[in-house]
Amino acid sequence: MLALARRHSTLLALSAITVVAVVLVRVLKGPAAVAHAWGGSVDLMLGILPSMLAGMLMAGSLKQLIPSGALAKWMGAESGWRGLVIASAVGMASPGGPMAAFPMVLVLTAGGADIGCVISFIVSWGLNGFNRILVWEMPLLGTDFALLRFLSGLPMGLIAGALARRIPMTWVPPEPKQR
Amino acid sequence: MSGQVIIILIALVCFGLALRRGIPTAQRALRETKTNLARVMPMMLVAMPMATFLAELIPADVASGWLGAGSGVGGLVIASFAGGLIPGGPYASFPLVLTFLKAGAGPAQMVALITGWAVLAFHRVVMWEVPFLGPRFAVIRTLASIALPLLAGLIAMALLPLFPSLAVPR
Repeated sequence: MLALARRHSTLLALSAITVVAVVLVRVLKGPAAVAHAWGGSVDLMLGILPSMLAGMLMAGSLKQLIPSGALAKWMGAESGWRGLVIASAVGMASPGGPMAAFPMVLVLTAGGADIGCVISFIVSWGLNGFNRILVWEMPLLGTDFALLRFLSGLPMGLIAGALARRIPMTWVPPEPKQR
Repeated sequence: MSGQVIIILIALVCFGLALRRGIPTAQRALRETKTNLARVMPMMLVAMPMATFLAELIPADVASGWLGAGSGVGGLVIASFAGGLIPGGPYASFPLVLTFLKAGAGPAQMVALITGWAVLAFHRVVMWEVPFLGPRFAVIRTLASIALPLLAGLIAMALLPLFPSLAVPR
């Protein structure tokens, strides 16, 4: 039930923003602007559809192939920078949205990964996931911009992980839940 | 569209590898694909119009002024936090960034915005991080990453001379 509400909350929030935006464009800019914006969104969708379908197939296949949990033994508290590098790389290679990535944090922790490594993992997943770069960033924003963005983001997983190890707070994973 | 060809090839290779593991693995891969598509498609149908309609509403001087290439570090800070406020997945953020870039926003500011969206992700903290991993994890993760969008923007500024194609407004 909670999961259902969570899933729909995003859709509801996006729908609400969209409806408000459509009404505002109609009122403030007139019907020509509305037609222009619809045209733009159809172009966007058609442009992204082939890579999105391919990206989904890639994510679905990779999930069957990558045993990320097995790598957790290289991500302990004593693993130093090497652990953070491995965790970042696993994060970048991990396909799928938050419903896949956050449970992975629990899997990695259970396998021995420390807080620095799981934070490297989650930051690199969010920022530099290959799947998202290939499906969205390159087709929409161009290869050059995607490369600039990727290079600028590359050290971030390591920095976040190293900082997290210095923050004087402990985290105990919650009891496993359904989903 | 070389990126599109690359992703299609990679997808086929990955699926081929799954197929080599046996038919059941390939079937699981396809089922996973179908589930993900069913989840993302409705979001996309709503988010694409959201991006293009918001683009009509964004005053030109916000993109080219506040977030323009000349906005400097102040623009990076605004972009970082604005990015953190964008809800939803890449289907929502990237079309918005595209429209900002077309309207004259600076590439480094957009790097900060994407980084803010990806690592601050206030919406994702509430929807996923706290429910799954607890508030302490969210606090540690946020403290460790709060400065990263600005830092990424600064790195992008430093790298920008290497990308002459991005210097001219498109």
